[in-house]
Amino acid sequence: MRTRRLETIFSSRNTFIGWIILLILLALYPQVTELSGIRLLQLTQIFIFITLASNWNLIGGMTGYVDFGHAVFFGVGAFVMGILVTQVQNYIVFAPGLSFWQALPIAGLAAMLFALLIGLPTLRLKGPYFSIAMLGTFVAMREIVRVLKDFTGGGRGLDLPPVLNRERDYYFMLVWMGLVLIAIWWIHRSEFGQSLMAIREDEVGAEMRGINTTKHKIIAFMLAAFSTGIIGGFWAFQNTYIDPDVVFIEQRTVEMVMASMLGGLGTVWGPPLGALILYVLQDVVWSRVPEGHLVVLGVLLIIIVLFVPEGILGTFKNPSSTSLGRLLRGYREEQPRPETVATE
Amino acid sequence: MVQQQPLLEGRNVTKYFGGLAAVHHVDFAVYPGEIVGLVGPNGSGKTTLFNCLSRILPINEGEIYFKGKNITHAKPYQVAHMGLARTFQVIRVYRKMTVLQNMLISRQWRGEGILKMLRPSSKATHERARQLLDFLLLGHLMHEPAGHLSGGQRRLLEIGMALMPDPDIILLDEATSGINPTLIETIKDRIRQLNRQEGKTFLLIEHNIDFISDLCSRVYVLDFGEKLAEGTPEEIKNNPAVIEAYFGAE
Amino acid sequence: MDQLLQALVNGLLLGGFYGVMVLGFSVIWGVMGVINLAHGEFVMIGAYFAWVLNRSLGIDPFLSLIVIMPVMFFVGWLLQRVLINRIVERPHLIALLVTFGLSIALANLFKLFFTADPRTVPVSYNGSFELAGLTFPIVKTIVFGLSLVVMLALHIFLQYTRLGKSIRAAAQNKEAARIVGVEVGRVYAITFGICIALTAAAGAMVSTTIPVFPFMGPPFTLKAFTITALGGLGRIPGALLGGIILGVVETLVAIMVPGVGTNLGIATSFVLLVVILIVRPQGLLKGLRPMEVT
Repeated sequence: MRTRRLETIFSSRNTFIGWIILLILLALYPQVTELSGIRLLQLTQIFIFITLASNWNLIGGMTGYVDFGHAVFFGVGAFVMGILVTQVQNYIVFAPGLSFWQALPIAGLAAMLFALLIGLPTLRLKGPYFSIAMLGTFVAMREIVRVLKDFTGGGRGLDLPPVLNRERDYYFMLVWMGLVLIAIWWIHRSEFGQSLMAIREDEVGAEMRGINTTKHKIIAFMLAAFSTGIIGGFWAFQNTYIDPDVVFIEQRTVEMVMASMLGGLGTVWGPPLGALILYVLQDVVWSRVPEGHLVVLGVLLIIIVLFVPEGILGTFKNPSSTSLGRLLRGYREEQPRPETVATE
Repeated sequence: MVQQQPLLEGRNVTKYFGGLAAVHHVDFAVYPGEIVGLVGPNGSGKTTLFNCLSRILPINEGEIYFKGKNITHAKPYQVAHMGLARTFQVIRVYRKMTVLQNMLISRQWRGEGILKMLRPSSKATHERARQLLDFLLLGHLMHEPAGHLSGGQRRLLEIGMALMPDPDIILLDEATSGINPTLIETIKDRIRQLNRQEGKTFLLIEHNIDFISDLCSRVYVLDFGEKLAEGTPEEIKNNPAVIEAYFGAE
Repeated sequence: MDQLLQALVNGLLLGGFYGVMVLGFSVIWGVMGVINLAHGEFVMIGAYFAWVLNRSLGIDPFLSLIVIMPVMFFVGWLLQRVLINRIVERPHLIALLVTFGLSIALANLFKLFFTADPRTVPVSYNGSFELAGLTFPIVKTIVFGLSLVVMLALHIFLQYTRLGKSIRAAAQNKEAARIVGVEVGRVYAITFGICIALTAAAGAMVSTTIPVFPFMGPPFTLKAFTITALGGLGRIPGALLGGIILGVVETLVAIMVPGVGTNLGIATSFVLLVVILIVRPQGLLKGLRPMEVT
């Protein structure tokens, strides 16, 4: 059967080996050839893309809590980094600003702590309520950061000491992406990951079967936030300038959601694949219509959701689940109808 | 039997939906090793009582004890850890996951730490899942997505999922509804086997009177959320109040 | 004390506007079960519409409603036929993602045409009048008054016309409505058209009091959600009440947190929303449908 074959080719283990080889090649790449700074920067951006999509997938895809404000953790990480590097000496006498490596883990931990605080109430909300609450968190945080001028520089933003080292950036993001992908792959196989997927499909049932759903959701949320916070901190340092409007942008969340949807929600390798495709696509669109690329992005999201809701990997694995897959395979299968609900 | 401590006990359990009492001042007790039936017309509050017992629904009045501990305010996963498992009237299997994955989800989950959670399921858990699936005649479907199973097979899978953590009591909510007679015999046979050989306790919601008569030693009857009667299946069948509740006054 | 009373008045005036702003959102949700994340973008479109008419033809923004509402009704009707129809009766997530994509596309489309520069719509009758020692800004009072008129008109439409009754029937029980001969598809398209027209009208009105720019939408969406959680789905009195509560709370926060308060409108709204959803998942007035029934 054709589907079976595709499934084995894209099996978790094969893809894992493939990614490892790719990571090694990428690690050697700058050593073997003379790369221009721009190329390194582009690759670093792709790594950021992939890692962010994978982070989002942990909570939005595997756990099924569609987070429309995940970029808030990116923002928290970026601003914690910015404040630690530039502002600390204003409050603690004699303390110089922290270095990148000192501040980075703190940025990640701050995002994680923020996820705990915000997750405790919001993860109790179901479905669309959670999504909107997270969108609210995001918009509200942007406002709060803008208001807290003393710490964050308000709308003027913060200038970080410029330390231009593209190769270091490249390797940092490569390693972080590698770690995150391995972690996600591992989680997916683990009991923890299986429980997350049980929560996605039927939370009450999962709880009744002995899964402490609150704990699971919070842990997944915090892990995702930690990694996103790290990237935010890294990005702040790389960009050397942050203000609320460059850090808290909806686009970043949209990209995470889209990459995950495009590749396959809740799969391990779908979101990285989706992120890669999305990056290339954006690059093409950007060069053609630099102003309107977000319009294209929005329309693309609609198209993906309507026609390929299971994403690329999902379509490979189960062609009948998406209209594109059905079209390609030339048949239309009835979706199993939900059991008739009998209540007392 | 009377001196023994009940395994699961409800005292004065009351649940309101709005102003309506779905379960009203119900007392009951299930002793270790029993198979107890819970019957009543549609809408009499059986499933609501199950939801209260498994802690999905909070109750308004009364107390619930399990193994002598007050679980009135426990969380569903906590009572599951203590050894209470259930199935659902509206089948809740994970359709997109394979049968085996479904079984693994509801493995033994007794207070494991974060690091243990991050391991794949152990060989022993896999082995237990295989054995149970074979026991329930689902072994050959192990790698099929649960959504592909027939209704009866899904019921069996749910029972398997309930058995996975090796619970002390299993609450079965209409295990026979919509199932062909051969499979009903299988389910009956399996319940009896589990009860006799492993000493599992069962509480069953049923409409199938033969099923109840064959299996249960005692039966509770609910009507309009109130306990109408209790006794052996024979007594219940001949109880005029029960007959009236089921068939209306004639 | 005077300050407090004045804040209440301001909150009330703001609340009237919120009431009409939220209607489109809450009726679409109530009737079709679609949570429209592009809601704020339709407010934005209405505001730009008023700006364009004012700028090019010199039409008064309040007068321009006569043009804006029919045009936007048609836009909404078309949108429902082309896009929204595909997501009605599908999981909430699908609708959320599609309307999220729509909101991004619309905001950036407008940025493309109108740039990100904030615009203002001038009116000649700026200023305020005093009544019982309290200040009433003229424009905001007109907005408030018009909002009440619009809400009353919608109420009468829903309660007493045949079409309105069909809409309510479809909202309550789609299948039953189908059986008694309501063309649900047509009703949906008309409902969506009306809602978009109302939302755009709210946008046109608000263009007289705040700057108009392409990314003004999301805060309105969030506020609409909060008000719906406060006042319930598709209920006009609830929308007004919820709007007033939010308006008053926002204004009070603004005077109680000196210096930064006026910038915390969204944060206020957000905190209010999360608190309501957690304390009363069914909404303050029990108007929200529980998302999950166990």
